[in-house]
Amino acid sequence: MNTTDTNPALNPAGTTDMTADSTSGNAGGATAPPRLEVTALSKTYGSGANAKCVIEDLTFTVNTGEVVCIVGPSGVGKTTLLKCLAGLQPATSGTAAIDGRTIAGPPPEMALVFQDYSRSLMPWLTVRKNVRLPLRHLHLPTQEMNQRIDTALEAVGLAHAANQYPWQLSGGMQQRVAIARALAYRPEILIMDEPFASVDAQTRFELEDLCLKIREDFGMTILVVTHDIDEAVYLSDRVVVLGSKPARVLDVIGIDLPAPRDQISTRSLPEFAEQRTTVLSMIRKPA
Amino acid sequence: MNRKLINWGLGIGTPLLLVAAWWAVSQNSTNTFFPPLATILERFQALWLFDHFGSDVLLSLRNLALGYALATVIGVGLGFVTALVPVVRWALDPLIHFFRGIPPVALVPIFISLIGFGIEMRLVSIILAALFPTLIATVDGIRSVDPSLKDVSAVYRLTRTEKLAQVYLPAAGPQIAAGMQVSLQVAFIVMIASEMLGASQGIGAMTLLAQQSFMTSDMWAGILLLGVIGFGANMLFELAKNKVLAWYVGSRRLAKS
Amino acid sequence: MNRNLRQLLVSAGGIAAALALWQFIATGPMAGGPLPPVSATLAELAGLLADGGFWTALADTLVIALAGLAAAAVAGVVLGVLIGSFEPVRYATLAVLEFLKPIPPIVILPLVVLVFGPTTEMSWFLVFFGCVLPIIVQTVAGVHDADPVTLDTARSYGLGRTEILARVTLPSAMPFIGTAMRVSAPAALVITVVAGLLGGGPGLGRSIYQAQAGGDYPTLYAYVVVLGLLGLAFQGASQLAERRLLHWHASYREVLTP
Repeated sequence: MNTTDTNPALNPAGTTDMTADSTSGNAGGATAPPRLEVTALSKTYGSGANAKCVIEDLTFTVNTGEVVCIVGPSGVGKTTLLKCLAGLQPATSGTAAIDGRTIAGPPPEMALVFQDYSRSLMPWLTVRKNVRLPLRHLHLPTQEMNQRIDTALEAVGLAHAANQYPWQLSGGMQQRVAIARALAYRPEILIMDEPFASVDAQTRFELEDLCLKIREDFGMTILVVTHDIDEAVYLSDRVVVLGSKPARVLDVIGIDLPAPRDQISTRSLPEFAEQRTTVLSMIRKPA
Repeated sequence: MNRKLINWGLGIGTPLLLVAAWWAVSQNSTNTFFPPLATILERFQALWLFDHFGSDVLLSLRNLALGYALATVIGVGLGFVTALVPVVRWALDPLIHFFRGIPPVALVPIFISLIGFGIEMRLVSIILAALFPTLIATVDGIRSVDPSLKDVSAVYRLTRTEKLAQVYLPAAGPQIAAGMQVSLQVAFIVMIASEMLGASQGIGAMTLLAQQSFMTSDMWAGILLLGVIGFGANMLFELAKNKVLAWYVGSRRLAKS
Repeated sequence: MNRNLRQLLVSAGGIAAALALWQFIATGPMAGGPLPPVSATLAELAGLLADGGFWTALADTLVIALAGLAAAAVAGVVLGVLIGSFEPVRYATLAVLEFLKPIPPIVILPLVVLVFGPTTEMSWFLVFFGCVLPIIVQTVAGVHDADPVTLDTARSYGLGRTEILARVTLPSAMPFIGTAMRVSAPAALVITVVAGLLGGGPGLGRSIYQAQAGGDYPTLYAYVVVLGLLGLAFQGASQLAERRLLHWHASYREVLTP
């Protein structure tokens, strides 16, 4: 909890600065210090004979303004990793740190989009009020709060549905509400846990592009967990490949694809297929 | 369309027909148990609308409303503490479950022995008996709040008050409401029982007194009034519930279709 | 393991503290008053167990509650199926049932006592009246809930009315009836006690009334303790029975997979 003494409301000027020097879209330069640093992180559930090691000795970094995807076989403990990063669960050993400060509780500069959108939205609140909920305790001026909400809803294309309830919307729309909620919170770091796993293919493409647009518009550092290799390659500046049981880093692959990315042209590049094959063979390789 | 009209007609017509039949059949009744409906209604008007409205009807209703309101406030509050503080839950759980097993009306004689026959006894009886359904439902409701919602609250660093009022309370709302509806029934039953067991005032006392002195029409009038109150209280509750939990009603209806 | 042990200790501590508080108040500030000490109540409880009158009252209570419940179950399911199977009947009874449902049987207790007197029949009728309405309403809902596709399939296979009733309608209404029975079983016990306490019907309710009227406070508390345990047994048994009998049904399978 001691990591969070700094002002949770972000400095918008600072955010734009970050955009300026990091949207060139390539692997993080050695000059910038890592925004998020995971060092020798392990997580074991239970103790003694029943101990089950889910994550072992995980090390990787995410630089400011990067989009990094974590891929790995399902059931590898990716969600556990995210819970450690979000400060929802303590690590058994090792550390996760933001700007050098160890994460010991939910960090103020971070937002998390959960995998299960239907369970992460409040069914008793309208879309607008869902987006507003995390902003109330930031004590923003009313005008700024409303403006943040409007901007976020427009960014995800849900301005028209603001007064509906989440359960009146389709799955893809619900996930967009969850993303809008994260956007309005203006985090510096956005973490998403298989955010597009349970929406149809068309919506999935839209949400992927939305994710890239957010990076452009808000200059966020984005970490996405996914089991879809194509998606990882399409979104990322770098892909962290995890091996299973217990989870550990097999490799970190820099993705060198031109920006801006486009669902049709990017995916049809020969480099795309190459990168995809590299990641896939890494995962399929017997440990 | 036509069929729907017939069904509606049946729905509204049958109760009217039943009342008319009761009126007709009992018109010349000399049976002491079943006096003519006309006489009952006459007595109803004479007893409840004028003579005893202030002294008995209002008194009963006030006890019911006050006792029920206090029971739900205490029940929800205590339920929150019990559900969220493990030590309290462990300590109170066996006691709560023992008390829920006791038929609520059986507590009335104990309160009579402790506090006497006054209004305080009736009020305390209603509060304590009606407390448990709400308390237990609140504990269950909060215990079963979706862990994802707790994670969301933590990630977005909601304050303690926000978590309680904006997340736990609405999430447990449907279960709390179900408990409150049972509490309302219990409060109503105990209101009648506490009046029947030795009070000299109130609708229950009047009705039992009428029965014991073979004033059958007065007794019927009392039964009629109690029935209307029981039905009316439940209907008011349903209306309020559907308004407050409109999101829940709506989402359930959507999920079903 | 450690946590479980601690939890158990705290629970035991809670019970011990409640009993200690009771004992303290009964022997200290309220000594000689209407609140008997724990020791006296427990001694009286032990005395009751050796007393034939207690066992007769207990047996009366159980017989009335169970007989009333059984009759209500049979009548409720039969009426519910009849009402639910014919749409006009369902509409005709809707308002009447909805009006009567929230009215507890204690409301008609004066009339029932007037007609039957303080007898077993009086208590029995009150239990029956109190349990039959929720069972009818739930059965109607259950019959109405039967899957129309399954019904059409059954009809297209040429099944007769009774066969459809036995093979499709009733099984699909079972969970609704089960819920009604789970709620009605503890209610039957409560109504039996009310009938004894307020209407003078035989059983534990009458015993409680006599103990209170006679100022025999240890006995009064001992009876209430017995009723608490009996109530728990009724709730537990009805839940267990519902789970045992309906484990095959979808609404139970859903619960198992989170």
